[in-house]
Amino acid sequence: MQVDQQYGSKGFGRLTRGAGLFLRNSFGSLFSREFIKVLIPLLLLWEVIPRFDILPRTLAPTLSDVALAFRDMVINKGLLLHILYSLGKFLAGLLIAVFTAIPIGIFMGWNLPIRKHTLPLFQILAPIPPPAWVPLTIIIFGIGLPMQIYLIFLGAFYPILFNTYQAIKDTDPRYLSSARVFGASELTLICNIYFWNALGAIIMSVKTGVAIALVMLVIAEMYGGRSGIGYLLVEAKDFFQIPAMVVCMLVLGMIGWFSIEILKFAELKLALWKVGR
Amino acid sequence: MEGGEMIEARRISKFFSIVNKEGIAEGLTACLSVTLSIEKGKIITLLGPSGCGKSTFLEILAGLQAPSEGEVFIDGVRVLEPLPSTRAEMDAYRKRYRFLSPLANDLFRDRPKHDIAMIFQDYAVFPWMTVLQNVTFTLKLRGLRRAEREKQALFYLNKVGLGASLHKYPSQLSGGMRQRLAFARALSVEPKAILMDEPFAAVDLLTRERLQDDLLKLLDSSGITIVIVTHDVAEAAYLSDEIIIFSPSPGTIRNRFTIDVPRPRRRDHPELADIQERISRLLKYDIDNESEYSI
Repeated sequence: MQVDQQYGSKGFGRLTRGAGLFLRNSFGSLFSREFIKVLIPLLLLWEVIPRFDILPRTLAPTLSDVALAFRDMVINKGLLLHILYSLGKFLAGLLIAVFTAIPIGIFMGWNLPIRKHTLPLFQILAPIPPPAWVPLTIIIFGIGLPMQIYLIFLGAFYPILFNTYQAIKDTDPRYLSSARVFGASELTLICNIYFWNALGAIIMSVKTGVAIALVMLVIAEMYGGRSGIGYLLVEAKDFFQIPAMVVCMLVLGMIGWFSIEILKFAELKLALWKVGR
Repeated sequence: MEGGEMIEARRISKFFSIVNKEGIAEGLTACLSVTLSIEKGKIITLLGPSGCGKSTFLEILAGLQAPSEGEVFIDGVRVLEPLPSTRAEMDAYRKRYRFLSPLANDLFRDRPKHDIAMIFQDYAVFPWMTVLQNVTFTLKLRGLRRAEREKQALFYLNKVGLGASLHKYPSQLSGGMRQRLAFARALSVEPKAILMDEPFAAVDLLTRERLQDDLLKLLDSSGITIVIVTHDVAEAAYLSDEIIIFSPSPGTIRNRFTIDVPRPRRRDHPELADIQERISRLLKYDIDNESEYSI
């Protein structure tokens, strides 16, 4: 009630305000007065060094080459559509991982018998590097969307699972005790105590998951499929188009940065109670 | 106050096994055969040096730990069954509590086992809930309707003087205010007994004295039984009807003092000063003797 009064507007106004706040929080640092002094000389150097053949221009494209390649790819190759494909797969894999790993982690942290029955299995499977799953996955799922989504899911699943489980297990026993004395059932404890206490750690783990899922996105698209940034990257390599490769790399970096920033924003909004500390 | 036993502890013992520095398992006796009955409406203090098992004993009273031996009754209802002592009993115990720990209330239904509340050393108010939510949450656990919850929470929060900061988070409150929130939360469920584990340990002296006065004012003629664990002699003398002194290793009741000074008391009442003096001498004697043994 009071929060509404404090921030005034509702609905659309609040949404735009939130979006503005988000953009300033996450990308404001790029355009800060301090960083501009570093950014502009860097971009200039990027443009100048290949131009004066300090580095061979065929290997190190200038900034303008990259910009032209970007324009060309948007017009002729449907770069934006490919970005959307990639984002879609990435989100699908990540969401499946989030909605399976977090509940499993919560149950494993909450109950000792469940933990004893499941933890060793995950401990055996987790150390396998996710890219090592590629050959088997291709044989099982074939080349296509299911295989790509599965690989992305696999990259994000274990970090989220283990960090969630650990955070739930380490819940401060005083919170549990005081809720229990007041009569909380186990379900209430999970929904109102364990989850909220672990929320910060869970969001952190999703951030780790995002980083690994992005790696798996590139690998999955390089190995199979006819769409996505990873596919464009391999195609550019085949035709030796270095500017196009740089464009793909930058786009992937942007996807990673953007998703991490969204999570940071979610953390800020959800963990409101930590702001005062 | 009317008579009758609110809390009754019969020959409570609690043993732990710990691993010492050499990696050898050692037995540790936290409580040894403690028998205690507490009358309705009394304020009882458990006093002793740190590490003498008084906090463990309080947790056993609250049903947060099972005693190794003995039984606790709150208002005539047994709190927890003692831990098994033989192998066969142990197997049966493990089998019975395979899925759910003996501490758990229920899997799905909110239902307190006993009509008590507890206040912890650093309050244990939930930092992710606002002041109002903290109180309404506990009321919800007791099965109150939404409208009633709000009304009762507001009543008790106003009573402790937190009416102006209903929508703040605990991290935005001072230590004293957080303690008041913990009081409001405990009182709002209108329990028969409140157990407090060093409730004033984390605030400065001035705040502590004010909080003690506030606590007595809040409790005034409510008939709630209070058990306080503390190591502050002055606090114990000022607050309680009876002081129970614990001695360490093994934790047992060493002495009991009944204080008949009528309320409201003055802090510098001569009888209180006398009792404080006697208790201090007693504790000092214990500590001196202990150091002699250890040399």
